[in-house]
Amino acid sequence: MKASLQRTIWICRVTFLEAVRQRFFAFLLILGAAMVLSSVSFRVLDFGHGELKFIADFGFGGMFLFGSVLAVVMTAQLFFSEMDNRTALTLLAKPLSRTEFLLGKFFGTWAVLGVFVLILSILLGLVMWGREQELLAAAEQSGKIPAQFSAGGLLSFALLQWFRLGVVITIVLAVCAAARTFLFAVVMGAMAVVAGQLQWIAQDAVLKPTQHGLYSTFLWVTSRLIPNLQQFNIGDALVLESASVPSGAVAMAVGSGGFYMVAFLVLAALIFRRREI
Amino acid sequence: MRRSSPWVIAVVLILGAGYFSECSWKKIRPCIPEIGRKELEPTIGQGVLLGILGGFRTVVADLTWIRSYVMWERRDRAGCEALMRAACALDPHSRYFWENTGYSIGYDLAHWEIIRRGGYKNVPQETQERLFRSYARRGLDVLDDGLNYSKSKLPLLVCAGQLAEIKLKDSALASRYYHEAAVLPYAPWYAARIAAHLDWDLGKREEAYQWYRGYWLSRMKGVDDGYPDDLVQIREMEKQLKLTPQARLPKQAWEK
Repeated sequence: MKASLQRTIWICRVTFLEAVRQRFFAFLLILGAAMVLSSVSFRVLDFGHGELKFIADFGFGGMFLFGSVLAVVMTAQLFFSEMDNRTALTLLAKPLSRTEFLLGKFFGTWAVLGVFVLILSILLGLVMWGREQELLAAAEQSGKIPAQFSAGGLLSFALLQWFRLGVVITIVLAVCAAARTFLFAVVMGAMAVVAGQLQWIAQDAVLKPTQHGLYSTFLWVTSRLIPNLQQFNIGDALVLESASVPSGAVAMAVGSGGFYMVAFLVLAALIFRRREI
Repeated sequence: MRRSSPWVIAVVLILGAGYFSECSWKKIRPCIPEIGRKELEPTIGQGVLLGILGGFRTVVADLTWIRSYVMWERRDRAGCEALMRAACALDPHSRYFWENTGYSIGYDLAHWEIIRRGGYKNVPQETQERLFRSYARRGLDVLDDGLNYSKSKLPLLVCAGQLAEIKLKDSALASRYYHEAAVLPYAPWYAARIAAHLDWDLGKREEAYQWYRGYWLSRMKGVDDGYPDDLVQIREMEKQLKLTPQARLPKQAWEK
């Protein structure tokens, strides 16, 4: 058990180092950071929202978009580089199981995305804090109640985003385990992200009573097989109206994300075991 | 059987995760702006997928609103309405989008339609009136939707009251909106006055007087200068109702 854990950690470390050295990661990180930092300049385009809401939305958008692209492309790239360079053959010839290999790949990629989310969250927090101080000073002069943001809420949102990206990685790994080409894995992964983000439509429909048995069965199956990624997007509520979030909601979403990660990792391991390398 | 059992376990795990996710969603749903399947329909084909997917919702809503201005300048009724409704659906908590969509549909679109049909001289007066009313009704539907979602209800109620009175020519409905607006905190002074006058004109003179009087005593008397213009209106009502001096509002110390 200990040896197995060590092997998984070793693969995880190698994957992490390989990923952070990629120009693709650096490029998207810089792009995301630039988006967060420039959000204050773009607020002239805003219509009738609170300034902090607009800035927060820019940051959340950056995390969602670039995070999703990273999760899909980087996972597939790291997996297929091992296959195409034949390093997977060498690795799996040693006392390393396919499940350990897959787990190592997952944790390595997830750790990189953790770094990505953390850096963007810190930058977003700094930008929002800076603007909040200016708004506080202006509100004192005008006698208005200023908008405020919750740093704890931002931290909870970052955690939720990390788990959302974890779910995306496991889905892409399951696809990669069956796919023959990098392109197929990326396209399927991207479609899974879109489906996951829109899954709540089926989820909402399931929760409403309907008389069509076949339709409700289809929705029931769909809403369980495709993870609901929209449940991790409660940034506005967490950061700007933290009191409106029911207690335990974040823990439930994190738990749900964790559950999905385990389920898709099991599926990915099963598919990968049958794969010819 | 033995070979298929891991697959069964995987499927059970995914279904279990789905069930857990449903419980979590029930808790989280109220925190997410209420965009539903019905609200999604007008956004289809408007290039706002990114906003629906997550993040960027405010930003995409703003950009959609800017695009709707282009349609507004071209007087493209369908495009303008679709994009404005898309902006509302993307950010349903924003009062600005609902208010201006309601105004545009209720006031502008009927004029564009009349111009498209040949202008004010060529379109019969009856048809013009029908168009104004029909678009006003649509504008009010948007404002009613906005009242369900927006956090700032007061401007929407005042806007709906104006639209119902000026374009729909439905004084009873306008009065209802103004009454609702008048009782909200920070209500503008004119909301109560218009509400009372609309009721008065509808023949509910006694009711209108009693409500206006009560409103003046509770919301206006002790504020700023005591709203003397509204008191003048109340005195005029008392005169027309031929109330006895005892039934009238007691004379104020500062009253001329």
